[in-house]
Amino acid sequence: MSTTPRKTLLEPGHEAEWAELNEEKRRALTPPPDTPVGELLRRGQHLSAQAAGLLRAVERANGRARS
Amino acid sequence: MAALDPELDVAAHALLAEHARFVVVGGFSVIANRFVRATEDIDFLVPDDDEDNDRRVLAALRKLDGVRLRDDAPLDDEHLIGKTHLRARTEAGIIDIMRGGLPPLDYETVEQRAMPAEYDGSEFLVAGLTSIVGFKRLAGRPRDRNDLIGLEGVHGELPIEPIPGLDIDT
Repeated sequence: MSTTPRKTLLEPGHEAEWAELNEEKRRALTPPPDTPVGELLRRGQHLSAQAAGLLRAVERANGRARS
Repeated sequence: MAALDPELDVAAHALLAEHARFVVVGGFSVIANRFVRATEDIDFLVPDDDEDNDRRVLAALRKLDGVRLRDDAPLDDEHLIGKTHLRARTEAGIIDIMRGGLPPLDYETVEQRAMPAEYDGSEFLVAGLTSIVGFKRLAGRPRDRNDLIGLEGVHGELPIEPIPGLDIDT
């Protein structure tokens, strides 16, 4: 196992940092329980539109992974 | 809540305008590889040890009125340069800036294998399937395992490479 410090969290051994980051994101993105259904629907539609937009963008660029 | 809605095209264009190098990873890269699911934040992989690029990324995040999510601090060079990760709250949603891992999950390899996406005549790169599978296998959260199942349903047998620390000693 290398002991050289690296500037990445994308390797094993950072589980505690990831747990903290995941919890931070959960707190930031989870809507309050009293969020109106209309707002939840608006958000869901926005996320769907983002996904559709990206798929179209990849199609436009004739997206093919280079390897 | 509206301020946290992800706007991938807005975020990517901000980085392109600053001539920053980046590759879209995370949930949006899963979607781009045809397993469509919701994702609520934006993940960008950026090169290691490139302070000029880090400054360009920070300039883009500032133009998106970005602050560090943890403490709402105005973005400063020290929040990214020499760091492993930065999470910002911006007008394009929550944006994670991450460094690559060991090969094949290093920035250069992920960039080389990425695929283009085109919005309004501008192109940026999104991680390809082989890279995503590596990231997801390494992360190993329930959502990552679900993504792998979904991607396998779309693509068939997934391309699996040995990942340092996971499949081989580092």
